[in-house]
Amino acid sequence: MAVVTRDERSAGTATNGRPAGRGPFLRPRAAQDVGRPSIAWAIPATVYFTIFALLPLGVVVWLSFTSWSGIGAPTSVGLSNWRSLVSDPVMRESILLMLLLTALGVVTQIPVSLLLGVWAAGRQRTRAVLTALYFIPLLMSSAAVAIVWRALLDPNFGLPHQFPAIFGNGDLFGSAPDAIGILTFVGMWQWTPLYTLIFQGGARAIPTSLYEAAAIDGAGTVRQFFTITLPQLRNTIITSMILMVIGGMTTFESILILTQGHPGNSTTTTAYYMYEEAFDNFAFGKASAIAVVLVVIATGIGLAISKWTGYDKMRSTLEGV
Amino acid sequence: MSVSRRFLWCGVMAALVLAAALAVSACGTSGPGAAADPKGSFEIADYGDANDTLEQSAVNTYNATPEGHKVKAVLQTFPGANYSEKLQTIIGSGEAPDVFFNWGSGSIQSYVKAGLVQPLNGIFQSDPQLNTSFLPNIMSAAKIGNDYYGVPMRGTQPVFLFYNKSVLAKYHLSPPATWSQLLSEVGTLKSRGLIPIALGGGDQWPELMWIEYVYDRVAGAQLVTQALDGDHSVWKSSASQQALNDVKQLIQSGAFGHSYDSVKFTTGASTKLLVTGRSAFELMGSWEYSTAQGISPSFAKNDLGYVAFPSIPGGAGNPTDLVGNTQNYYSILKSAPHQQAIADFLKVMYTPKFLTNLVAKGWLPTTTDATKYIKASPSPNWLTWQFDRVKQSAHFQESWDQAWPPQQITPIHDAVGSFFDNMNAQSFISAMAALPAA
Amino acid sequence: MTRRRPNWIAGGLAAVWLFVVLLPVYVLVLAAIQSQPNYNSQGPLSLPKAITGSNFSAVFHAGFLRYFLNTLIVSVAVVAIVVAVVPPLSFAIVRGRSRLSSGVFRLFLLGLAVPAQAVIVPMFYLITKLDLYDSFAAIILPTAAFVLPVSTLIMSGSMRDITSELYEAMALDGASSWRTFRQLVMPLSRGGLATIVVFAALNAWNGFLFPLILTQSSQVRVFTLGLFNFETSYGINVPEISAAVIISIVPILLVYLFARRALVQGLMGVGGR
Repeated sequence: MAVVTRDERSAGTATNGRPAGRGPFLRPRAAQDVGRPSIAWAIPATVYFTIFALLPLGVVVWLSFTSWSGIGAPTSVGLSNWRSLVSDPVMRESILLMLLLTALGVVTQIPVSLLLGVWAAGRQRTRAVLTALYFIPLLMSSAAVAIVWRALLDPNFGLPHQFPAIFGNGDLFGSAPDAIGILTFVGMWQWTPLYTLIFQGGARAIPTSLYEAAAIDGAGTVRQFFTITLPQLRNTIITSMILMVIGGMTTFESILILTQGHPGNSTTTTAYYMYEEAFDNFAFGKASAIAVVLVVIATGIGLAISKWTGYDKMRSTLEGV
Repeated sequence: MSVSRRFLWCGVMAALVLAAALAVSACGTSGPGAAADPKGSFEIADYGDANDTLEQSAVNTYNATPEGHKVKAVLQTFPGANYSEKLQTIIGSGEAPDVFFNWGSGSIQSYVKAGLVQPLNGIFQSDPQLNTSFLPNIMSAAKIGNDYYGVPMRGTQPVFLFYNKSVLAKYHLSPPATWSQLLSEVGTLKSRGLIPIALGGGDQWPELMWIEYVYDRVAGAQLVTQALDGDHSVWKSSASQQALNDVKQLIQSGAFGHSYDSVKFTTGASTKLLVTGRSAFELMGSWEYSTAQGISPSFAKNDLGYVAFPSIPGGAGNPTDLVGNTQNYYSILKSAPHQQAIADFLKVMYTPKFLTNLVAKGWLPTTTDATKYIKASPSPNWLTWQFDRVKQSAHFQESWDQAWPPQQITPIHDAVGSFFDNMNAQSFISAMAALPAA
Repeated sequence: MTRRRPNWIAGGLAAVWLFVVLLPVYVLVLAAIQSQPNYNSQGPLSLPKAITGSNFSAVFHAGFLRYFLNTLIVSVAVVAIVVAVVPPLSFAIVRGRSRLSSGVFRLFLLGLAVPAQAVIVPMFYLITKLDLYDSFAAIILPTAAFVLPVSTLIMSGSMRDITSELYEAMALDGASSWRTFRQLVMPLSRGGLATIVVFAALNAWNGFLFPLILTQSSQVRVFTLGLFNFETSYGINVPEISAAVIISIVPILLVYLFARRALVQGLMGVGGR
């Protein structure tokens, strides 16, 4: 930590618009340390989180070395769950599928919610009304969403029946690419509102001064979008991407209700496979091993994104404004 | 000063949160669980569906009796789609219910093996009617080893071939009695642009019903009995292959249409095909009657036909055989206190009032004196016909996904679903052969 | 010069998206106001032959008022917990100087990746050991815990946008961390706070897995479980299910509308009011 001299401190105060020398410097501490929260601020949340999230996670790791059907006590089986996972084709495919669905989710949801969020940040009243309407999918529970879409996509009584030109023979849930398409679309339908909200908040926080300066420079709307809006939304985009990636990896309710992992296992993601093993097959040991794999992959990707984009350095996009 | 202010704020917030949580949990704690049992009550876990009012009325009847005033019965329903998982989760813990709903045979086997279920021989000795009031082949579906573990509490649900009377009449067809008749009628209907047979492939178990019946007709009931005993070779037998071949022929003829994977019974989509006349047939459990009623009461009353599954000449099976859910049972937790009170509650299951309510809801009871209640029910023809089929059946095969323990439900369903998709007999046979003995 | 000139491309996309969003809602509303035989006689998009309110009354008779109350209790408690612990935590992450604070951030990032269903079985045993099974606390405590990572992410994001000059100004004032928090950070993070309130409320309102496994009686049953239960019994009855779904949406829609106003008011440019 750099040593800050008295003179430098005084010099620093003159540039940020505040009267210099306001209030005596009572504490012999570097200016950067004054007003900083100690780690005690983080304790309530961390303790609570440890008990109710991390402790169970620890038990899950332990369970992955056991075999347990829920009755009686878990019996230790060493590495056999892990060994069977390594040679399990469903496990391998589930990981690939999970990555595919997540990628599809990011590619469909980020552009749409970005554009919508930026557009919705405008203060026209119609935009406010419309944003409220856009939010409705997020208000519906996954079960409700699935019920509605299942009815809409019924091959004999739903949209495919009324519009065969678009939907072909209507057997959307019977073909793997179609089923994946449905999951992607319903995911987009359900979650875009959340990201729109986040981007809207982010876009509203961009200072008008930046846009005014750019307009004076002669930049048009599109150019402003790419040179100001996008870079300013950088942190927001990364937050959303992390949420999307991890949310995509852990989603299972929609799959539970829409496709149940079918046709065959082509929509069985790792998270759904874990649920199946735990609650359909009562193989809690194996399910725990799958859960550990899932957590490791998702955390790894989350940390990687965070590191790669410098997100965890907590830099503000407004430095120097 | 600021430091103590900060701690004060944190402390206040923490206290508020804690107080809120405690207050809320105190006023939110439910009635007695098995662990915190105040003297004098027992808990019954029930499958949550439209029939819960029936189960509740049985509980009310018991609670009004002198015994019921001493030890109360409390009904707990778990959502049907999650019932088995919920039960499995809590049965080994302190939250286990004293009495629980089940499907007999495979569904309670692992619990019996773990010593969690009370054998009923003792109770039968003090009240023989708990055993003798019910049809013997129904009681034996809840028999594991030499002991009985369940008392029937609903109705029996065999699977029949339902049909739309108007549709058949329109094309001058009669309900098929043989397999070849079914195939030719399918051909006729297909040429008229119908989906001949409605199939809820999205749920997979409707497909299982077809396989169960064809196997029974072609290979005889003993194939499944032997498989349940652990004989894996039966699946490779020529009878087994023939059965699969017959099903394949039906699928390939286009009998089920092409989008059955996207149609589910549980959303009503397949029954709707039958009701609206887009299909002529549906093979389904007896609950199809009330399902159709829910969609269109007039259809159920006037237009819904039902017939036994066609015979397959040349097959080893008895054409009177039935497939389906034999019954639902109440079983008792071994460690439940108030065993005598529970036995008193179970007596309600064969009382006239309860049985009258049962038939009023469209269920077919399995008591030896069921006929007299059937005659007084709202749909006597339907119930009488059903009862005759059950009485005359040489063998009533429990659905395979209930006959084997719950761990095998997914492998069985997956094997069936794959077969209906790619008609690969070999992979079906190996999947079924891989099932452990029940 | 206006900040946003009319953007026709985005406007067109918005209109298309509105259609996509509202189509299922239209189907839902249509189904909810028809009787079952009528609904089943035609496709989901067709206009109803006759309208009825019987589905809504049937839903209420099935005990949904109780479920609604329960869900409300759960949601308020979850939001209270989140609001109490996340802002201080985010403050420590964003402004804390110790190496521990970035470690804490990574911890919560790890928590983000933990799916609720992975820990559901140990959670069951933890809850029963604490003697909280089948109580509101059984739902509230795990739900709030699993909302923490995302809320932290959002709140930290919001706090980090406060520039260091403003922090330094407070520091020069001799402000303690507590005063900085109260006078600078919280007022400027109102947008983030509103977002996490909405997010936590939404999670609690639509939470399904924890109530499913950790409760069983109808006294503590929440709306989603009630819907699930209802669907199992009457799943074939799409009109009644649709009515139940609509009833479940309306309260949270109202909350969102009110929170949005707070959100809009709180989202002011940093340093410019």
